[in-house]
Amino acid sequence: MDLARQAQAGDESAFAEIVRRYSPRVFRVASRFFRQRSLVEEAAQEVFLKAYTQLGSFEGRGSIEGWLTRIATNTCLNMLRSAKRRPEFTVSDLSDDEQNWLEQQSGTDGSKQPSVENSVVATDLADRVLSVLSPEDQQALLMIDGEDASIKEVAEATGWSESKVKVRAFRARRKVREAMEKLLGR
Amino acid sequence: MNKHITEILDNTSLANLSENELTEIRAHVVDCASCGKAYDAARMSAAVLKSRTQAVIEPSPFFQTRVMAALREQQAAESVPAMLRLWRSAKAVVATMAVTTAALAVVSFVAPAESTPATDQSTSVYSAYSVIMDQPADEQMTYEQVLSTIYEDDDEAR
Repeated sequence: MDLARQAQAGDESAFAEIVRRYSPRVFRVASRFFRQRSLVEEAAQEVFLKAYTQLGSFEGRGSIEGWLTRIATNTCLNMLRSAKRRPEFTVSDLSDDEQNWLEQQSGTDGSKQPSVENSVVATDLADRVLSVLSPEDQQALLMIDGEDASIKEVAEATGWSESKVKVRAFRARRKVREAMEKLLGR
Repeated sequence: MNKHITEILDNTSLANLSENELTEIRAHVVDCASCGKAYDAARMSAAVLKSRTQAVIEPSPFFQTRVMAALREQQAAESVPAMLRLWRSAKAVVATMAVTTAALAVVSFVAPAESTPATDQSTSVYSAYSVIMDQPADEQMTYEQVLSTIYEDDDEAR
């Protein structure tokens, strides 16, 4: 809170300290939306520039981290909305590695969670199935199913109501599951 | 058990399913192929989503410096539009002043000097010079008449 107050009073070094302290958090949020370092950095920089101009609106009721998370989420969503629409999800685009990974994992015992050892392939597959969702639905699903965030935490980070978060997550989970079923049944 | 389990799968993340729900799902998929496929897909989806959120990019050591430099750049860029805004608001006043100055110049230098005949005796039609020089040849004035006209004119000017 002190840092925010000092930064609000025009202390540039206090703002520099905010950037240093909270950039890992902002990068974490931006990494949910983008995989390329350049895009994550661009988004994070945009977040801090916005935060500086909006310092006056920070009333200190919540934490700086929560406030920055919200700015980061909205900034990334806006960047995604203004970006070109990603190519439609197609089964035929699967690489050999992705096909192998799916075959290996679908043969495992249903009582165990599939391994995420080969994280690059798994991450590529995640992006493939997430591409059927809107940026907002992606956000809700990644936070809840990927990061084990609660409905309330997602609502706070996005500014949506809790019921809206639930609806988005339900819809997103079903779409992703159906997309994955198509991959498995190819 | 006849009820399909896809709604349970879509309602919450697999990690948050209760032990009872998981038992119900596993029992159901033994005899229901379509739900078995759905359960497999849900498990895969959960795994790839976990993997996706673990792919976090860390800030570089220069990130803070870069942000502060961008901030200063932004502040410098914002100061130029401020000057432009000032110019825009002053433009009307400056334009009015220019028009007024031009009008005054026209009135002062271009318009005929009818309003100040006494100050420009050399060009005025009523000046002594013109009275003497413009007279027809057959109406030449005598020397005394010339002198009295000049003095008369000088007196009027004073």
